[in-house]
Amino acid sequence: MSFWRKVFAITWKDVLAEMRTKEIISAVLVFTLLVIVIFNFAFGTSPDVVKLVASGMLWVTFAFSGVLSLNRAFVMEKEEGCFEGLMVAPVSREIIYTGKMLGSLLFLLIIEAIALPIFAFLFNLGVFSWQLIVIVFLTTVGFVGVGTLFSALAVNTKAREMVLPILFFPIVIPIIIGAVKASESALSGGSWGDISSWLGITGAFDVIFLVVSYLIFAFVIEE
Amino acid sequence: MENAGFLLAAFSIVWAVLFGYVLVLLNKQKKLQQEIVSLKEALKEKKG
Amino acid sequence: MKRYLLLALSFTLMVVSLYFVFVWVPTERMMGIVQRIFYLMVPTGWLTLLSFLIVFIGSILYLVKREEKWDILAYCSGEIGLVFTTLALITGSIWAKPIWGVWWDWGTPRLTSTLVLWFIYLAYFLVRSFASEPSRGARFAAVVGIVGFVDIPIVILSTTLWQGMHPPPLIFQEAGLDPRMMLTLQVSLIAYTVLFVILLIARVLLKNSEVDIRYLKEG
Repeated sequence: MSFWRKVFAITWKDVLAEMRTKEIISAVLVFTLLVIVIFNFAFGTSPDVVKLVASGMLWVTFAFSGVLSLNRAFVMEKEEGCFEGLMVAPVSREIIYTGKMLGSLLFLLIIEAIALPIFAFLFNLGVFSWQLIVIVFLTTVGFVGVGTLFSALAVNTKAREMVLPILFFPIVIPIIIGAVKASESALSGGSWGDISSWLGITGAFDVIFLVVSYLIFAFVIEE
Repeated sequence: MENAGFLLAAFSIVWAVLFGYVLVLLNKQKKLQQEIVSLKEALKEKKG
Repeated sequence: MKRYLLLALSFTLMVVSLYFVFVWVPTERMMGIVQRIFYLMVPTGWLTLLSFLIVFIGSILYLVKREEKWDILAYCSGEIGLVFTTLALITGSIWAKPIWGVWWDWGTPRLTSTLVLWFIYLAYFLVRSFASEPSRGARFAAVVGIVGFVDIPIVILSTTLWQGMHPPPLIFQEAGLDPRMMLTLQVSLIAYTVLFVILLIARVLLKNSEVDIRYLKEG
């Protein structure tokens, strides 16, 4: 099982680096909260408006925060020249992908776990349903699955961070649609049945793109 | 015969765009031809 | 010689299809003459998908074999695909206005999926220009081509499911097709596909020259 050990080594490295600097989580968290506040001023907080707009707001926020977080995933490697080191080490590209992906997943989940209650607090919404938690988890996995691939790609281009949203958003539109629709239902107390088809689509997306990204990753970071 | 304008518009636009694209390709080809000519000149000068 | 045959074939097919669309086919009862835009809409939509399929195949072959010709094929198909996707959006919109009363409907899977596909095509080319060298750009574009194509069915699925919740503004049953309409549609499809093939061949030849000249200059 040395595959997983190597994977967790990479993930742990990222976690340690993050714990030291708290770069990603703090910046993205502040960003998330700011976006929520801006939305509050943009749409107002009358309960009717909130009901209409809450789910969309939540996911626009998470989408942008996700991009922000993913952007940072490989920047450190690029800037410190660690890419070469990583590649020379006896680690297959797939291990790098999985390790990085899990790291980003962890960071995003932490951010979402903090942002959701704040969201509920600011908008007086009941957020704690298992449905919502599952939706958020599945969608985040999808983001991170494709996002890690594209982040590695983006970091190697001239325009760096600007490329990621352009690549990333069109591809993840299906799961954003799913997340928004399913969250709507979950926030108004819908049942599992209501969201089952959306969860199915998101689940399928996750599986497909985890596999595809895993396979293609090597092509992105070869030098 | 209402809305026939839309029908006309749709077909016209499609054909205009396709024609336009072909024109762009032809232009590119002309430019490439010119480049080939100038490259040939440059080669001749190098040899001579 | 083959080239002229192909051109003649395409021209003939186009003329024939025009005859079918404007003279032969009966007018649809509910929507009237505007419905004939249908014979433009389906071919452009089809070519959008076909071009991307070729981008997909070319991308995979390029990544695996690293032969430039596959990248050229993918590039050219992508370019033509972008043109046809734009046309699909335009014809779809021109269709929507008289039929549904709006220029755009977010609920229609056809329109929204095509829009997403348009952005993916765009990303395919932006990645090339943002890369530091052409070989990297080709590699990155291939990645986008593969991921994008795999995404298409999921996009269509999710937009269709979304539509299930938002019926279109005017509910028009696109009633079962009269066999004469089906034939007209098929003729149009073939005519536009042949046109696509010609455009692709022309573009690839041109691109080959561009690449050759680039190598000559560098050498």
